[in-house]
Amino acid sequence: MEFVRPDSIEAAVAALQAEGAACLAGGATLVAMMNADLVAPERLVSLRDVAALREASRRPDGTVVIGAMRRHRETAEETDLRDGQRVLREAAAQIANPPVRNMGTIGGSCAFADPAADYPPALVAADARFALAGAEGRRTVPAGDFFRDWYETALEPGELIESVILPPAPAGTVGSYTKLARVAGDFAIASVALALGMDGGACTHLAVAVGACGPVPARRRDIEAELLGGPLGNAEIGRLTDALAEAFDPVDDVRASAGYRRRVAPRMVRQAIGEAMQKLGETQ
Amino acid sequence: MKIADSFVVAAPVERTWRAIRDPQVVGACLPGCEEIEAVSPTLYRARIGVKLGPIAAKFAAEVEVLEEEPPVRVVTVTRGEEGGRASNLRSDNILTLAPADDGGTRVSYEADMTVTGRLGKFGFGVMKKKAQSLASEFAGNLEARVNEAASGG
Repeated sequence: MEFVRPDSIEAAVAALQAEGAACLAGGATLVAMMNADLVAPERLVSLRDVAALREASRRPDGTVVIGAMRRHRETAEETDLRDGQRVLREAAAQIANPPVRNMGTIGGSCAFADPAADYPPALVAADARFALAGAEGRRTVPAGDFFRDWYETALEPGELIESVILPPAPAGTVGSYTKLARVAGDFAIASVALALGMDGGACTHLAVAVGACGPVPARRRDIEAELLGGPLGNAEIGRLTDALAEAFDPVDDVRASAGYRRRVAPRMVRQAIGEAMQKLGETQ
Repeated sequence: MKIADSFVVAAPVERTWRAIRDPQVVGACLPGCEEIEAVSPTLYRARIGVKLGPIAAKFAAEVEVLEEEPPVRVVTVTRGEEGGRASNLRSDNILTLAPADDGGTRVSYEADMTVTGRLGKFGFGVMKKKAQSLASEFAGNLEARVNEAASGG
């Protein structure tokens, strides 16, 4: 196996064009999989010397750009993530345990696209976009299109994640990430990423993505759009959870049965919305 | 892990049966099947590639027909091993054909699969979803193939 350490995005992309090449980010997933003999890359392209990938910044309009090599701990503490964008901080803070949060990166986790991982639903709820770089140039892909199937993403061979871009969240919105797991730090049985805004009893912003209940985060933008401008009572939340349930395709695994996931996820959505409304000082 | 499903092909039972018992047809419809050869009328060898996210596996597989009742039922066992990578799979399969309402054929399958070795570590939940999606891709391919043959006369 060959090990290379390019120091620019261009050099990293060039190094990735070889057959059997894979990016090494924090190593939290890839190295564990190599140890388990699940993958055997012929060339490891370490991204640790690519300084541009380690930065995060906030633009004047409130857009936040997080480099692919930012560690989970850094994202969990990222004060540039405000209002509804805080959904990403909360998700990062609940990944695994401190050693993994010091090691794992947002780009690495998203490229692996574990359906029970914490970032995918948070990024989908935040309306984030992925900035990708490849031999053909650069492009951006909405998070909702980036996650495509079980462990499959929109990344083409020879392409890497440069950053994730979170659009500004409307002022006064709240973001939250709720995860149900057997023990703290485990992969989710189900998770709910939420960004919510209310004004005088009327919903002004609503984004709900459910994780670990299918190959990709479940979100129903059509129903969210219909609920904007009105109250969020039991009936409205029920409409949203019913629609979300249509998008679920959960697995039976060691963490929970598919049936349990279907039962618990709608209740988690209801609870997450209720708690967010309390934070906003609204009554349901 | 067990998977079971059924699909309808717009061709009579006899013709569907011939397609299903033709290794070249099955090989062409099976996602990831790189080659298939008939060792005997009841034993086939195939090379099959499977991919799940970053994990790619290539199996040398053997399909043995244990029982058949033309043109309605066939029981097979598939055994596969992954060269030096030490994964093994075994699948016991039952396939049944029955006339459907519109002159077509309902093809039902049941497979009981075990995977051991390195791929066994990956967790059956997602593997089952993958197996289901491969099976439905196979069904779609077979349907297209049989329908094509039917319209071609």
